[in-house]
Amino acid sequence: MTQQYIKPIPVVQPWTEAFWKSTKNHSLLIQKCSACESLIFYPRKRCPECWSSDLGWQEAAGRGKVYTFTIVRDMVEAKFVPDLPYVLAMVELEESVRMMTRIVECDPELVQIGMEVEVVFDDITDRHALPLFRPADESLRITATDGDQTGKASEPALFMSPDDYHTILYETGGTNGAVCRITLNRPEKRNSINRRMALELRDAFRRVREDRNVGVVVLAGAGGSFCSGGDLDVFPSLAEHQTSLNWLAHEGLDVQKAITDCEKVVIAKIDGYCLAGGLELALCCDLLYAKESARMGFTEINMGILPGWGGTARIVRSMPVFRAREIIYSGRKDYTAREMFEMGLLSRVFKDEEFEEQFEKAVALLAAKKPIALRMGKEIMAKSADGGSIDTALAVERNGIQWLTYAPDIQAMMDQFRKNVKS
Amino acid sequence: MSKGKGKIAIVGIGEVPTGIYPERSPWAIMYEICTQAVQDSGLDKNDIEAVVTVAPQAQARLTAEISFGKIPEELGLKGCKDVCICNAGGASTSNCIRLAEQLIASGAARAVLIPHVTVHSCIPMDELINFFAQAGMDLQWEYPFGTTYNAIIGMLTRRYMHESGATPEEMASIVVSMRKWAALDPNSIFFNKKVPSVEEILSSPMVADPLHKRECNILADGGAAMVVTSAELAPKVTQTPVYKLGEGAAFFTACPVLRDNGMMTRGFTESAAKALSEAHITKDDIDIWNIYLAYPVGHPLMMESLGLCEPGQGCKSFVDGSTWPGGKMPWSTIGDAIGRGHTGSGVSTATYVDTARQLMGKADARQVQGARFVFQNTSGGSGMNNIATVWGKELI
Ligand SMILES: [Zn+2]
Repeated sequence: MTQQYIKPIPVVQPWTEAFWKSTKNHSLLIQKCSACESLIFYPRKRCPECWSSDLGWQEAAGRGKVYTFTIVRDMVEAKFVPDLPYVLAMVELEESVRMMTRIVECDPELVQIGMEVEVVFDDITDRHALPLFRPADESLRITATDGDQTGKASEPALFMSPDDYHTILYETGGTNGAVCRITLNRPEKRNSINRRMALELRDAFRRVREDRNVGVVVLAGAGGSFCSGGDLDVFPSLAEHQTSLNWLAHEGLDVQKAITDCEKVVIAKIDGYCLAGGLELALCCDLLYAKESARMGFTEINMGILPGWGGTARIVRSMPVFRAREIIYSGRKDYTAREMFEMGLLSRVFKDEEFEEQFEKAVALLAAKKPIALRMGKEIMAKSADGGSIDTALAVERNGIQWLTYAPDIQAMMDQFRKNVKS
Repeated sequence: MSKGKGKIAIVGIGEVPTGIYPERSPWAIMYEICTQAVQDSGLDKNDIEAVVTVAPQAQARLTAEISFGKIPEELGLKGCKDVCICNAGGASTSNCIRLAEQLIASGAARAVLIPHVTVHSCIPMDELINFFAQAGMDLQWEYPFGTTYNAIIGMLTRRYMHESGATPEEMASIVVSMRKWAALDPNSIFFNKKVPSVEEILSSPMVADPLHKRECNILADGGAAMVVTSAELAPKVTQTPVYKLGEGAAFFTACPVLRDNGMMTRGFTESAAKALSEAHITKDDIDIWNIYLAYPVGHPLMMESLGLCEPGQGCKSFVDGSTWPGGKMPWSTIGDAIGRGHTGSGVSTATYVDTARQLMGKADARQVQGARFVFQNTSGGSGMNNIATVWGKELI
């Protein structure tokens, strides 16, 4: 409670004081008329049924069902903006009274009418705790974090299960066990990036790093587009300075780092739109293969800002600088894949009708290589491209290759080679 | 003569196009609509004996000026004997008409002017969001959780869809129907604007899931006015009197959490039955259903309550075109708030003015040919009540 609570505090009436006092003991009271035995919500000064003022309290079991709800995403007062998106709900208690509340500790997308919930209390001041509700089913719950005090749907734990991904697909162990496919999967939104997707991407790339069989990761978009950038639904929340900074420094930087540090060769499969934040994701990858009809560009400057998920910094290290600047400054979103290739950005462009086939060929070619060689290659080239001294880069290279050479399976191969030479 | 005993009629109307006019003062609009309405009625300005104004929301200064008699003074209404302002949210206009009825019945006034002006564009955006977040919300039991009008409607919409099985496409088709009327209406903010497709509506951002941005209202500026007299006097001053034939009212709840669709359906049904029986007609006699509910979700509920379709099937007529201009069940001929632009409580005034305009035969491209009887409702707050009325171009 050291932090000041800036959101509206319930305006208490003398006859509702007992209710709020009780919330501080994390107990939910329902008013009860001693004369006609009606249960009353919200509490009144007189029973709305019989007008008796002989009113008492009964403790509620604290369980109920979601009567209806909405996921609030926009158009709220500034003081609620940091909470977005949040689930506002009417909950019907077992005692048959209905109250306005929020559903917390749950992914908003999983809330349903009829879902069984139980009360939890958010201690907003030393005199009030807001009764909120969380899923009664523990498996639907997301662990509460400190962020809970804001009423914010809490952030999922660092490591999720791929089964929990809603915005991306994560596939390994297909016909080629060395390939992992991570697919942005919000086709109805052209795979635009929201908070959830950022968290899931971070999780997915950290997960794949631990998979020693995988040498190549394909990052693609579902539904004919790679990614159109940040989801506009995120924008209202960026009105708040700290939230905006964190969108860049936490979600943004974490996703970039997760991709660049995942120790696999990440191949971007670019089709449809690859714009703004989508192009920024691509710039974190190791190889960029594009379909001829793809359209690319950075549009941020048209809103008076610049790419902030690494795009502005990375693009000048990814292609000739005088061409990179045009992409940043022009705000164009209609660069063709062919243009981008000629400007020096892409690895390759394939004709539309050949795209799938050629792309898979390229993937298969790399997937046949040893994952540790790909991994070491990624690291050495990244260190060199970082622009340190050439001597440092050469040392990293020497030591890296020496390490590879003495890797057990390489030595086994060498032994075979030496035997063959002798005989 | 006895047919019209105690009844009233709208004899003149005035209106400015709804839009965003930050450069235009509320009083400039007030002058225009009042002058138009009085001139349209055929009466002299000094015949107006009372002014009952629909309270503008979120405009404290304007409300104070109107409350304290500025309208008759500005306009030089020398015959004015009584003045007041009336606020019941979006239902206010119904209550203003009811007050006019009483002033006329008691002999206190022979002609009453009922104006409304709102200039949202002069109010800073954060104040507007703040006003609409708090107005109609309980500061103890709702507001601390982050309720807004859109969020309340989002919840009611989800519940309606859950109970009826209505699809997002069907809900969006209500907006399409509203915008079709608006596109033909020179007083709408969407006049001559392309009607969005169901797909375009559903691809607009979510505001309060399942409510999309294009299913929410645009706040706008506007004003409308009418002149009301007794049914006896009306035909002597105008060729096109529009008679109020019946009325029925139902109150639900102030707090949305205490309300449910069943309660609203009952209230819609009962108030409509009262209004129709008072008018001595049946629903089959109604040529236009002028429904004002400010968001899509109330419309199918209203259609079901009025017995115009099977329960749960309220969206169908919006999909198949029955409610569109030229359809067999003309519905919300100004396109409700979503088609008109939201002028606070003014959408209810504009709806009455259009009920009169249709029955006067002056609705041009939107004119429902041969319209004799119009059913109209208003509703206040977040849907606290329903006031149903029946209007006709003749007395029964
Ligand atoms: Zn009682």
